[in-house]
Amino acid sequence: MKEIVRAAIAILLVSAILLYVVNAMEKSSATIGGGSISVYNWGEYIDPELIDQFEEETNISVVYETFDSNESMMTKIEQGGTTYDVAMPSEYAIEKMKENDLLHPMDHELLPNLENIDPYFLDLPFDPGNEYSIPYFWGTVGIAFNPTLLEGQTFESWDDLWNPTLEQEVILVDSAREVIGMGLNSLGYSLNSTDMGELREATDKLKTMGPNVKAIIGDEIVEMMRREEAAVAVTWSGQAADMMWINEDIDYVVPEEGSNLWFDNMVIPKTAGNVEGAHAFINFMLDAEVAAQNADYVGYSTPNEEAIALMDPEVTGDERFYPPEELRERLEVYENLGLEMLGIYNELFLEFKMDMEN
Amino acid sequence: MAKLSKSAKLYLVVVFAILYAPIFYLIFYSFNSGGTMSSFEGFTLEHYGAVFNDTRLLIILMNTIIIALLSSLISTAIGVLGAIGIVFLRNRKTRNAVLSLNTILIVSPDVIIGASFLILFTMIGVKLGFASVLISHIAFSIPIVVIMVLPKLQEMSGSLIDAATDLGASKRDILTRVIIPYIKPGIFAGFFLALTYSLDDFAVTFFVTGNGFSTLSIEIYSMARAGITLTINALSALIFVVTLGLVLGYYFFNQRAGQTPGTGGAKL
Repeated sequence: MKEIVRAAIAILLVSAILLYVVNAMEKSSATIGGGSISVYNWGEYIDPELIDQFEEETNISVVYETFDSNESMMTKIEQGGTTYDVAMPSEYAIEKMKENDLLHPMDHELLPNLENIDPYFLDLPFDPGNEYSIPYFWGTVGIAFNPTLLEGQTFESWDDLWNPTLEQEVILVDSAREVIGMGLNSLGYSLNSTDMGELREATDKLKTMGPNVKAIIGDEIVEMMRREEAAVAVTWSGQAADMMWINEDIDYVVPEEGSNLWFDNMVIPKTAGNVEGAHAFINFMLDAEVAAQNADYVGYSTPNEEAIALMDPEVTGDERFYPPEELRERLEVYENLGLEMLGIYNELFLEFKMDMEN
Repeated sequence: MAKLSKSAKLYLVVVFAILYAPIFYLIFYSFNSGGTMSSFEGFTLEHYGAVFNDTRLLIILMNTIIIALLSSLISTAIGVLGAIGIVFLRNRKTRNAVLSLNTILIVSPDVIIGASFLILFTMIGVKLGFASVLISHIAFSIPIVVIMVLPKLQEMSGSLIDAATDLGASKRDILTRVIIPYIKPGIFAGFFLALTYSLDDFAVTFFVTGNGFSTLSIEIYSMARAGITLTINALSALIFVVTLGLVLGYYFFNQRAGQTPGTGGAKL
């Protein structure tokens, strides 16, 4: 008995000491006064130095937390019990959050740095007038490939993926809208098609690609391409940038038929506890120098015009990641197709995956 | 025990090699100066430095440990008393029913437990964070402790208690001086199992974290979106070493405890 009591006391002591240390650490990283805000972002999607800089400049301490998918983020916010002040959802999630009345409108008066953003990225169909969201990063869906493994074959069209020489070489990203969208694009249809005939045609065409597909996976794509375990991958521009960072042989292309243009945006959830602090944070992230530093760190494309002027022209002049406007014409933003249509997309994607097994 | 044949030994070695290879692979690359897991370029300790420089990661690590320690301590206390209660239930049917209810909690998917906790907490207005994580960890650890303590209790002879009563021990004495010393190994086993469950739990914690409070498994999962950095390797290596230390400590403790049952009675 004595031994158990002693062990219990020891455990309590250790916990108390750790709690004290945690408190001390949190206090030293949080400056007194100015309050605090909590930021809910994708993992590895901000330069941590910028958080420190923001805390120093504004005296507002930042509680930073990460999520891994739009869906899990929305669930957390919708359930309540949380007080996130700033979150970074993708565009289709914003439409959904708007519908469910989860967002706090933006006060543009408090965001003077908004003028740094390229007008092309403002007033987009998913949020007219940027009433609820401010663009954070953007990118495309395209083909990443390693010419050294392909005897110099290049890609201009989605149809190149059907080339019989690519047997067992292509990796697809495990996401229904991207893959079905690729099928639709390759046939010249819209990414947001709700026409059952077009969708059927796209799925049937995708099935004929079966022999070329090596795997349908998620984040592992980056590592596989880096290690040259696969030669071609359909993926997001940010992932492609991650691959090139390590393996310089890899190239990325947005096929000529068109593709998806996506945005991650900053929003203020309805449950926010410090709306003023949230605006201060968003405005800070819109600052030209800050945005430039952040884009350098994260590797995705920034919508911040002034930041682009500050960045290495070799990066921002790269048409693969900063496509000029005439190229962007061919890109489409995902529209919220509604639950029912999304179900159909998922079903067709599943059908395609099942077909691969044979 | 009969001596193992050569082929049996070989089999053991192969199985353990397969089980441990991924962990050692991960630890090996935590010393890589190359920055990725694709090729080993040179030895460095910079990733370990990065772990200790990242205040946020350290806070999360300590939070994870605090939650694990407190939740397993509290759940051990509740679980031990619960197991004693179950064993002394007179009615066989009720006892079996209670035991089955306990088992159901162990086998039911974590996701369901987590989701139901999330709904419960938001309904009664508990703010997600330290408290919600602690409560849910206690909840899923209790059945584990009960299961670990029960066999020891069942193996205890009823005449021990009768003898104690005959010698004039009060109920309290019986509990603290007879039952608990007897089932001590079970209590420690339950505690350590609860500790490991809490340390590596992902599914339940995933639902009930919030407001800036996070545990290590959740954090690593979120970081993996942009590819796992070698900092995570370094951190995992550190945790592996600490766990190894814990297991060795537990083993050492058990060895010592294993020698004392005879003398333990004399101390009374």
